[in-house]
Amino acid sequence: MQRYFISRVIQSLLVLAGVLMMVFFMMHLTGDPAGLMASRNASPEEIARLRDQMGLNRPMTIQFFEFAIDVLSGDFGNSTRYHQPAMDLILERLPATVELASISLFISMIIGIPLGLLGGSNPNSMVDYLARGAGLFGQTVPNFWLALILILVFGLHLGWFPTFGRETWRFMGLTLPTRSVFLPACSLSLFTLGQLARFTRSAVMEVRSEDYILTARSKGLSVRRIYIQHILRNASIPLISIVGVQFGYLLSGSIYIETIFSWPGLGNLLADAIGNRDFALVQGIAFFSSFVVVILNLLTDMAYATADPRVRYGE
Amino acid sequence: MKQKIRLFVILCTVIFSLAWSAAGVLAASDGKVLRLALTMDPNALEPAMADERNAAIVSWCLYDSLVAIDDDSRVIPALAESWTINPEGTVFTFKLRKGVTFHNGEPFNADDVLFTWNRGKRENIKYKDRFNLVKNVEKLDEYTVRMSTENSSPLLLRFMAEHWAMLPAKLMKKTGEDKFLAAPVGTGPFKFVKWSKGDRIEFEANKNYWKKGFPKAEKVIFRPIPESSTRVAAIQAGEVDLVTRLSAEEVAGLKGDANVRVVSYPVDRVYYIAFNNMTSGKGLPTEDPRVRQAMNYAVDVQSMLDALFNGKGRPSTGFVTPGNLGFDKAIKPFGYNPAKAKALLKEAGYPDGFKIGFACPSGAYTNFQQVCEAIQGYWAEMGIIAELQVMESGKYWDLEAKKELPPLFGDSWSETIGEAMSRLQGALGGNSAAYSTWWDEKIGAMLDQIKGTVDEEKRAELYITLQHYMQENPPFVYLYEPVTYEVVSSRVTDYKPRASEQYYLFETHIK
Repeated sequence: MQRYFISRVIQSLLVLAGVLMMVFFMMHLTGDPAGLMASRNASPEEIARLRDQMGLNRPMTIQFFEFAIDVLSGDFGNSTRYHQPAMDLILERLPATVELASISLFISMIIGIPLGLLGGSNPNSMVDYLARGAGLFGQTVPNFWLALILILVFGLHLGWFPTFGRETWRFMGLTLPTRSVFLPACSLSLFTLGQLARFTRSAVMEVRSEDYILTARSKGLSVRRIYIQHILRNASIPLISIVGVQFGYLLSGSIYIETIFSWPGLGNLLADAIGNRDFALVQGIAFFSSFVVVILNLLTDMAYATADPRVRYGE
Repeated sequence: MKQKIRLFVILCTVIFSLAWSAAGVLAASDGKVLRLALTMDPNALEPAMADERNAAIVSWCLYDSLVAIDDDSRVIPALAESWTINPEGTVFTFKLRKGVTFHNGEPFNADDVLFTWNRGKRENIKYKDRFNLVKNVEKLDEYTVRMSTENSSPLLLRFMAEHWAMLPAKLMKKTGEDKFLAAPVGTGPFKFVKWSKGDRIEFEANKNYWKKGFPKAEKVIFRPIPESSTRVAAIQAGEVDLVTRLSAEEVAGLKGDANVRVVSYPVDRVYYIAFNNMTSGKGLPTEDPRVRQAMNYAVDVQSMLDALFNGKGRPSTGFVTPGNLGFDKAIKPFGYNPAKAKALLKEAGYPDGFKIGFACPSGAYTNFQQVCEAIQGYWAEMGIIAELQVMESGKYWDLEAKKELPPLFGDSWSETIGEAMSRLQGALGGNSAAYSTWWDEKIGAMLDQIKGTVDEEKRAELYITLQHYMQENPPFVYLYEPVTYEVVSSRVTDYKPRASEQYYLFETHIK
């Protein structure tokens, strides 16, 4: 058990180091930001001076190691556009992304799982077609397209929701979401919803044919008890990992959805940072997102290994 | 179990309905509040650091400079009541307005001018060159300052209006730069209230504004909405009062809407294909002016405007646009003349054309990639095979600043001060300008002469001479000056945008 945990932690650290390297070199391959930082009327000397000041003239490997050492202390450098530490900007935008991610995960769970459950227990029924349809729709329809349609229908024509932006609501010292989160959360939940519906359906179908269900049935247990105690419980094991992975993915912020809805989260900030060649900010967000995904994967794996001994012996 | 479920459902309903109504209250529009959409979140609320138009527009609500530029592009007094300039154009003496206070109550005086100048020269200030132009600032008394420049600088006043926002010296020395920028203070028509990054910026009217009776709006809220189709939906839904930077197609559906009106105006921005005689273009056929003329005649700019921009936009005659000082109406665009282009190529010794490298940025400008592809086609008809490389804009501008792009490349250049000097100097300054790939000694000398001429009429004449020279010896293929589209709510009055896409909110208000 311990060996498995240690090896997973080491693996995760290696992945993070790889991400750090990729992000850094890919960003630097695209040129440098010195030109954009100076005014367009700047002289070549002025831009060269800026480049020099920012240390962009030094060998790439040295720049990378310095960057990596700073990252270890949580410092991603200053955003060249905002003149502020990149980490501060990331933390400032994080609550909006967390709000959007949690609510869209909630939506996909309360719709996707029951749908898959019903579909899986009544194969080839209407509900099952609906579950399969939802799965296919969710995973094939681009969410930015759905976002625009939702804005047109529910924002503009029906006027039920704001077309853009994030409104919050202060209640007993807490910042709470309002209906402004609904449209972006629906658009963002689409993919996860489809995935959950499909996986739940197949997990339920698999569990249903297990011998212990037959035993339970022959013991005379009620259908409800069989579902809650046997089918749902066993089918939930693979679902935990999907939910964990999907939450990590949602937390890294969606560039498209946040940009379309002008949602002030990490995805929106990343789009802005890429457009402005803001190295520190792009590196910070990319690394931060990977970090969240890796940590959530690690936690999921550990939870999984604790719950199901087969996982750790298989290593 | 059942009870628990019931409780959960009731709780969910309560929370949901509270959240719903809370949002309703927040979204309701107050009669006196102007709600404006931005296309990007500003990088800083300070004009010398503002990296593009959105930031400049928002910042100038908070501050004043010593002088301002009015709607007719004239320099008018602002925090300076009057000024004198010596005949050489090197010494500027300003009499400051008395009784002006910053939003924190601190009085404005000569010390603030000195402080603003000193700070503006710092390395992290994007437009430091606009401050470095002044070599010395002297405080003659509490309300008089004298500035001197090394060379005559007729454009100094315009640069000041654009970037020299007067900062409160005492406050800024006390709080430091970072804290100041988080809650900026100026003398301007609006006071800072709140900035939630990426979400909204709120200002309220400065009741003690020195220009009596202004501003007319009580509150201003800026909302960044990067996606243009969302901007259109937001104004249609009545959630904002002004949206900018839309295309002709995007506003087409709004023409019959009684709640909004569509505004369109030509922008002071020239699109062009640049030639290169400094790096990658050395020794190529394009060094011959006849070839460059031919390449201008070969391109049908009007057809491109018709096909890609609904016929809106003006074929360029050069780098000086109709609103600029010294624009010469007599100059006509090259126009599409393939026969003349062929003849000129033959005369230059390239009857069968030639091969040449060509680059354009992607995603940076509306339909620009299509424009470049069309141009490639027009040249191909002349036998000029331009090998087009389309590059991601960030990478593109990086290479452009290093003069490493292929010998032909497309770009555009805007101008904000009503005079084409920055555009001309930036694109034709040779080794003194990062983005210039063309060096013509005569143009260089003419630019120096204009920069040193204080008298506006004489300067205008010099611009006219330069425009003629740049037609005979074109350093660019001149393309077009576009039209921008904006949508304004019919509640809004006195909104006056300028060709520089800058607007000031003294007068704008809700009916």
